[in-house]
Amino acid sequence: MSEPKPPTDRRDFLLKLGAGAGVAAITVQAGASLRSLVPNVSYDAPTTVKLGLPAEFPDGLKFLPDERVLVFREGKTFHAISAVCTHLGCTVRAEALASPQTADAGGASLRLTHRFLCPCHGSEYKGDGTNVAGPAPKPLAWFRLLIAPDDGQLVIDLADEVDRDFRLTVG
Amino acid sequence: MEQRTSSPYPRIDRLVMAIVGVVLVLGTVLFMWSDRAHDWRYYQMEFRQMVAGQFGEDKAAILPSGVQQIWVAELSRADRCVTCHQAVSYPGFESAEQPYRTHPKLPLQQHPVEDYGCTSCHGGQGWAIDTAAAHGEVAHWEEPLLSRSLGESYTLAGNKNALMQMNCNTCHRYDRQTPGATAINLAKSLVNEKGCRACHVINGFGGTIGPDLTDVGEKPPEQYEFGRLSGQRTAFAWHVAHFKDPRALSEGTVMPNFNFSTEQAQSLAMLMLSWRRADVPARYVSGTPRVDPRSAEELAAEAALKTGPGGWFVQTGCFVCHSISALGVKSPAQIGPDLSNAVEDVQSRFGVTIDAFLANPTGTMSVVLSRQIILTPEQKQEAVAKLREAFAEYQRQRAAPATGK
Amino acid sequence: MRWPSLNRTKPEAPGVHAEPFWSFRPQSDREAGDAVVSNFMLHWFPAKISKASMAWNYSFWLGTISGALFFLTILSGLPLLFLYVPSVERAYQSVKDIEYVITFGSWIRAVHRISAHLMVIVVSLHLVRVFLTGAYKNGIGRGQQREVNWLIGVVMFLVTLFLSFTGYLLPWDQLAFWAVTVGTNIASSIPAVGPAVRELMIGGRNIDQATLIRFYVLHVVFLPGLLGVLFAYHMWRVRKDGGLARADAESALETPQATKPVKSKTYTLLGVARGTAPTVTARSIEAQGATVNAVPDLVRRAAIATLGTIAVVSIMSVFIASPLEEPANALITPNPAKAPWYFLWLQEIVTDTTIRIGSFTLNGAFIGGVILPGILVGVLMFWPWLDKSSHLAAGAWMPRERRTQNITFLVIILFVLALTFVGMALRGPYWNFYWPWEAWPAIPGRI
Repeated sequence: MSEPKPPTDRRDFLLKLGAGAGVAAITVQAGASLRSLVPNVSYDAPTTVKLGLPAEFPDGLKFLPDERVLVFREGKTFHAISAVCTHLGCTVRAEALASPQTADAGGASLRLTHRFLCPCHGSEYKGDGTNVAGPAPKPLAWFRLLIAPDDGQLVIDLADEVDRDFRLTVG
Repeated sequence: MEQRTSSPYPRIDRLVMAIVGVVLVLGTVLFMWSDRAHDWRYYQMEFRQMVAGQFGEDKAAILPSGVQQIWVAELSRADRCVTCHQAVSYPGFESAEQPYRTHPKLPLQQHPVEDYGCTSCHGGQGWAIDTAAAHGEVAHWEEPLLSRSLGESYTLAGNKNALMQMNCNTCHRYDRQTPGATAINLAKSLVNEKGCRACHVINGFGGTIGPDLTDVGEKPPEQYEFGRLSGQRTAFAWHVAHFKDPRALSEGTVMPNFNFSTEQAQSLAMLMLSWRRADVPARYVSGTPRVDPRSAEELAAEAALKTGPGGWFVQTGCFVCHSISALGVKSPAQIGPDLSNAVEDVQSRFGVTIDAFLANPTGTMSVVLSRQIILTPEQKQEAVAKLREAFAEYQRQRAAPATGK
Repeated sequence: MRWPSLNRTKPEAPGVHAEPFWSFRPQSDREAGDAVVSNFMLHWFPAKISKASMAWNYSFWLGTISGALFFLTILSGLPLLFLYVPSVERAYQSVKDIEYVITFGSWIRAVHRISAHLMVIVVSLHLVRVFLTGAYKNGIGRGQQREVNWLIGVVMFLVTLFLSFTGYLLPWDQLAFWAVTVGTNIASSIPAVGPAVRELMIGGRNIDQATLIRFYVLHVVFLPGLLGVLFAYHMWRVRKDGGLARADAESALETPQATKPVKSKTYTLLGVARGTAPTVTARSIEAQGATVNAVPDLVRRAAIATLGTIAVVSIMSVFIASPLEEPANALITPNPAKAPWYFLWLQEIVTDTTIRIGSFTLNGAFIGGVILPGILVGVLMFWPWLDKSSHLAAGAWMPRERRTQNITFLVIILFVLALTFVGMALRGPYWNFYWPWEAWPAIPGRI
């Protein structure tokens, strides 16, 4: 069919316009509908959590499974280390050391009473969170602790990572 | 190559197809518009301008945008009210028009919004993000916003905001009086004053002449007899009318007419509707005991321990591990040795005097005295004196039975 | 169009279709023959189709529109599968989230719901059309099995209704809970086995989590799968029975004529056969002028029907909100508790068919909910074998020969429609009768 057919072209234009616009419109509607899979509201737990009164914490280590943190108390000072393995997110287990030792952690001295072992791939961390063995790529996170101004409870801010010299001293 | 059959259809079909295509494009525009057409977008823009005007552009820039929600997992409430009511915990808009007004501070201090959400007190539909639906003014939502305007529609005699107190009483139902809940308090005092329990069971006890009122707030509106009620056909209106003149609403009832005032009848109706099967965790319920119950004897013994001759050891905390039997102090745990003869016992165990031991403890006591019970030198002096007293009493008691027999 | 990476110097391998799509405009005989094999549409559609069976005003394209609506329910169901939680604690909440905070959520849910409602309507109309045109009848050709396809169609209609019914339960609101209560109690009214059937349907004696998960799996896996398989078979049978009955009717009208021997060629799956056609005397739907090529004429019309359906549903979904009643509450029956509209005629019948003979009572649920619909569906399914009219009555609107049965059928349909109307518009609280202009007593609220 080599002979020119201009009228057909003009009529074909309507068909192509219709079909093209229709297919484009449906594509837009279907594509935009995928936006429904992106959540607009969060059902996540809040990142700032009240943990209870400082006096309720024992000396040494307390593991908080809800927040997946290890809260340490040494007399009047507190610090919190994440129990989430930096490799692939399993919860590490604390194992008490036979003989606690004092080490330098980020410039401040720290009594190391435990080491942390990850059950998933065998990562091992020192008492200050430093990764010492296994596939863990970096040390466990330290979180900011503060005292709630209203009721004096210990508060952890899981969104605020701090350096390893951080200590909260309770008066 | 064979010619294609000539078809009569393309001419009209092409036009129809073009129209369908245009309609689809139109549909896509409408579809996009439907997602944008929410009034919260306008309210957020407006509030942003208010913040910018009052506190500067930089404060406005950090305001959250998009649908916001307060998720209280324990109450399974996801309240999106703060999507429009952005000023709830933003001080500085205390006298602004709603939805831009700052929430009064006092109730939020005791009921943090992250623990209670909005709808547990205010009512309304927390899921919704459009005004009418969120305020519960739509079909199929039975918990309307307990607002001033709703109170006005019932011409409440007292505080027009009082309807909200019904929700307070979900958790405060066992309070005798709840600070601030004036209408509910009035109704509760009337319940006692008029002796409602003579005929009605309320919270587990009372007479059985009338119906059990413990969960009367759960009674579905369809179950009320509205035949003799004029005006609003709601459970609340029914109760108000019924309190004012019981016999006018339910024929043959023996409930007396107490000649309640309008305010009294309305308060009682609120109390009735507030008595529901509350689906809240125990820690939300006001007055729920959170300690093990103790008998009067146990309480008396505990008080006697504190004030008795061995009171100092109790208050200081020694008695947790040590009994001081000479002074009548019995340790609940009895982990450590009896301190009655500590003066000689320390000497035999550690080979030092009691003064020296307390000044420089070893073993378990070194941990306890450095961590749990931290004593000043003066307090240690006092401890030694008290221990000597106990030892004197111990020796006296040891001598006494021998002479007595 | 060729794949850009294609190495043109190599010879084309046998069986390999070297182009990304097929050709609408074959440029050679080979390409035309190849199109039959490679064109998806030509696997579905025949190469040629009679003009008459393509007419808008014969079939109204109701089957195609049903298919398009089924496609739309599946498409809109996919995101809902990610968003809906089939648990009695969270189902209602997840639907509220879909309605309120998920971008396009309420639109997607509306598309799903409106396509489902329209599907019930269009599938019913398709069934009515096929009955009225006697399209379940065979022509004079040997081996036609249109009765079987009618039977398949009736089953597909029932599956459509059951799909809608199972979908109703999922939001776990009052409508859902009480629709399922009534629906399964109809099953339990069957003497002897009824209660066991109900217990099997709802997974216990109470409507609870076990019920929800059963109906959920039926709704999202079993029934759509069944309908998909039946749909494929239905379409296949249409082709294998020689297309629409209308095509038979058209060819039947022609006087058999001897065709002249002409140069011919045939596109076959094996290639192009050339030669001279034998002289035959036949009624041919291939008669010059009576047919058009399926591609593009049929494809274009199918596209119009499909795209048009999508356009209508898309726009309706912007404006028609999907209802969600109060959370399911076993303690309160809504007043009135109405079934979905397509079951209202049944609700109306079960209201009126409790029979008392002396001390013997037959529950209306059994008569009106099981026996009567059972007879109707049974007769409907096997009607093609009962219909003794001649093949001339196939594929024509309201032929004289089938007038009585068509009128009877229409009377039954009108009766069902009338009962549906009564249920929809004239029934109020306590299933009392109210004229449309009469106000119902106000539904009392809490506060």
